Amino acid sequence: MQTKKYLFLSLLATQLLYPAPKTTPQSEKYYHKSLEELLATETELKADIGSRSGERDTMYSDVPIDVITTQQIHLSGSLELSEILQKYIAGFNYPSASIKDGTDHSKPFTLRGLNPDQVLVLINGKRLHQSSLMHVNNSIGRGSSSVDLNTIPVASIERIEILRDGAAAQYGSDAIAGVINVILKGYGHKNRISTTYAQTHEGDGKTKQTDIFYSTPLPYDGFINITAEFRDNQKTNRAEPDLRDLYAQGDPRNALANPITMHYGDPEAQNILLALNSEMITQNGTTFYAHGIFNKRESEAGAIFRLPIEDRNNPTLYPDGFLPHIAPKILDYSLSLGIKDRLQNGIKWDLSYTNGYNNFHFYVHNSLNDSLGDSSPTSFDSGGTSYRQQVINLDLSKNLELLTLAGGIEYRKEDYTIYKGEPNSYRLGEFSNNAGAQGFPGFLPSNEVDAHRENVGLYIDAKFNPRPNLTLEVASRFEHYSDFGNTFDGKFSALYKPTQSLMFHGSLNTGFRAPSLSQSYFTSTTTEYVVNGLNQIGSFGVDSPVARDLGALKLKPEISQHYTFGFVYQPTSNLSLSADYFYNAIDDRILLTGNISGSISPQVQAILDSYNVTKARYFTNAIGTQTDGVDVRLNYHHKFDNNLLLKTNLAYHYNNTQITQINTAPSILGAAGEGILIDTLTKERITSGQPKHILSLYTQLTQGDWALAFNLKRFGEYASVLGEDLYRFDAKWVSDVEFSYQINARFNLSLGAKNLLDVYPDRWGDTGSDFYSTQGSLPYPPESPFGYNGRSYHVRIEGRF
Amino acid sequence: MGGQKLKKIIVAFLSLNLLLLASNQERDLQAVFIGRLAQFVQWNHPKEHLFRITVIGNNPFGDLLNRLYKEKKIDGKSVEIKHIARLEEIGQTDILFVTLENQQEIQKVILYAIKNSILTIGTQRGFAQRGGIIQLSFVMQKPHLVINHKTAQYSQIKIQAPLLAIAQEIIKGDE
Repeated sequence: MQTKKYLFLSLLATQLLYPAPKTTPQSEKYYHKSLEELLATETELKADIGSRSGERDTMYSDVPIDVITTQQIHLSGSLELSEILQKYIAGFNYPSASIKDGTDHSKPFTLRGLNPDQVLVLINGKRLHQSSLMHVNNSIGRGSSSVDLNTIPVASIERIEILRDGAAAQYGSDAIAGVINVILKGYGHKNRISTTYAQTHEGDGKTKQTDIFYSTPLPYDGFINITAEFRDNQKTNRAEPDLRDLYAQGDPRNALANPITMHYGDPEAQNILLALNSEMITQNGTTFYAHGIFNKRESEAGAIFRLPIEDRNNPTLYPDGFLPHIAPKILDYSLSLGIKDRLQNGIKWDLSYTNGYNNFHFYVHNSLNDSLGDSSPTSFDSGGTSYRQQVINLDLSKNLELLTLAGGIEYRKEDYTIYKGEPNSYRLGEFSNNAGAQGFPGFLPSNEVDAHRENVGLYIDAKFNPRPNLTLEVASRFEHYSDFGNTFDGKFSALYKPTQSLMFHGSLNTGFRAPSLSQSYFTSTTTEYVVNGLNQIGSFGVDSPVARDLGALKLKPEISQHYTFGFVYQPTSNLSLSADYFYNAIDDRILLTGNISGSISPQVQAILDSYNVTKARYFTNAIGTQTDGVDVRLNYHHKFDNNLLLKTNLAYHYNNTQITQINTAPSILGAAGEGILIDTLTKERITSGQPKHILSLYTQLTQGDWALAFNLKRFGEYASVLGEDLYRFDAKWVSDVEFSYQINARFNLSLGAKNLLDVYPDRWGDTGSDFYSTQGSLPYPPESPFGYNGRSYHVRIEGRF
Repeated sequence: MGGQKLKKIIVAFLSLNLLLLASNQERDLQAVFIGRLAQFVQWNHPKEHLFRITVIGNNPFGDLLNRLYKEKKIDGKSVEIKHIARLEEIGQTDILFVTLENQQEIQKVILYAIKNSILTIGTQRGFAQRGGIIQLSFVMQKPHLVINHKTAQYSQIKIQAPLLAIAQEIIKGDE
């Protein structure tokens, strides 16, 4: 027994200490293939993300990386980048949002159960700006401004790299939950045009979309690639009949069939999207590059229906009540210009400038300003927000024998503005106390903000390969911000391959997220009559006098500690299993407080009165959280004798977030302070508002001219709060299917269905609410991770030229 | 019985590691392509008893080329592999696999190869347009061949039709 034990242990030790001898079975196999077969051989996935030392094999990386390929994008049947990520990445959540003001039109996403602004997004490795929209309604991501991934035309994308690790020591702010790097199509892509038609099983949500990708070759394999996309989405609506009495008691019209009064679904939207990716290479090898995106979006969705009998309605204008339509016009673009080369001594350098801009301009239609009486207009310009981010980067790197050194400097300037609406959109007239446009009152002149911030970052990164089977990487980054000061972060990661088929990797790092300018300065108020005159109600910037007197402090960065470790086991070239555990602790997470009113204490009342404010709220560093979880992947592919290629990927993601600390509330808020910092709804949204368990199985079959993709995903249980009561919604299985057929050398036809089995989320149950209940007009939870549109179909034809 | 079972498990574990190794596919394919492409090329210079492959610049292959071509013959000849850093070290060779990164050095190597009827293979973007004969890169996870037929003709190297037929791009020479 002892002998057997020693034999086993010694063999295991041999395996761990000495890498298997190098042999070349793969190259031997390749050598006996025909040239045609060699040219059709698919090589390993590579990614740039997570290291400054260039592309590496994603399977054998020191940090966990996922890659979504061009073919997967093509077979996704999705027209929006966020949908594609949700389909393929188990820890990516893109919940629905409806009747959430601006959020309906620029829905946030999350990674690993954290906040939307805790994910860094890059295009070709350059930082992409966030939207200027502040999500202030009760949706996942409330209190954050997120990147709008759907501003990037899908037809322009070569691959998407997702780093499942903190990386603030490499990339700076926001890289807490992970980093998404969108790589635009570069050299070697064919011109193509495609058109898609889609609609839901219910018959709504008709979508017409056309895109074109055109590549012009330049000398030395340079290129100018342009993508244009036009998309027209009609709305979906899953609101149900409004069972309330819409008219005054005794009005016979109450006996008529209950109408559908709400809009609960996707907005109606028209999008123009453009993308540019270009590299011009000179005779001596210097590369000038430019890439950018442009999106103009006009979108329209409903607010809450105003009953005919409500005091917010004017029966002269709307005898049957009205549904205000919030219709923002969104302009978003980003352009990066750069030059890169290699010096005689082998140092590679890359100098770039990026200018990103987002303008979210609110309009309201089918509305009124009740305080203006019968002469009220019905459409309003409610003003908006804008955000500009300019970044100058200089990156340097040099490969030595066993060492890759990288370093760089980054200057970033941010500008955030709030601009007022037209006077009728916000003013308080003489006919009632309901100021401003119903649905979305305009920003007041006193809300206007023009805020700026600059920061400079310095980073160094060293990757060391002391042995062929061991890689160590250290990185650190110093940043100085003009508003809150300095940060310093570090990262250590390691990769060890005890055998050619087994690899262990791990990473330990600190990170931060700078408070966004929108969190520091967001101001949005409405006006009401009170006994002594006019008062304001709403959100105030942390520097505003009323917020300061109510305890607001200058926002500090959110600080994170992160570690991950796991393994990859690849017993054969077509089978791999990986598992990673991650832990992420974040201190001083920034939240929007609840309403602070005079009912808290006479002192608070006195402060509010002195500023003519009835209720106020502001952003504050409120809580600490701890998130941990696992990601498991099983990849398998096999080519059968009849050339049928099977690719399958089974992924499981688990995350669990707990609130570990609630910061001390300002003393002025007294005993109510903690409840104002974080209420029950916010607690549940953070800890259980998103699925903790997600399982996905992706299967792809290709043979000759056809391809079939099937995606099955299980979204785990999640919860929501109505009033003070918690409601849980069961896990659901959702499946998508896509069939693609190459008609001839030029044309390809695809047919597909999303949510093939027409699955809907659980209904609310009997909550007693007129809206969110089984009998209510909004029966489904707004947090549903797969929406509530049900099944949809699409057909696409694509031509290559 | 228990001992037999344990031995089987150990042998299976070792076998998986030793026989079914994960590998760097791009590197393996590059190594294979060098020899396979040579089978579709005819040189004009006098016959030698060895077929020489020279890697100039960084050596991404380790000893893979030596192991792969140890028992193989190209054009009926045994294969000799050489790794060099600079132009001056080239000497006599049939194939130059260029991994240099400096464009001026690449240009000098290409000119030398044209004069000496050497087949150049490079992985750098723009290699073929700069006068390299075969550019072997990877686009969307698949090998991508660009052949500069014009330079090949100028170098008095004949590339056979089957190879020209499967290349994704050809810089044409005289028909």
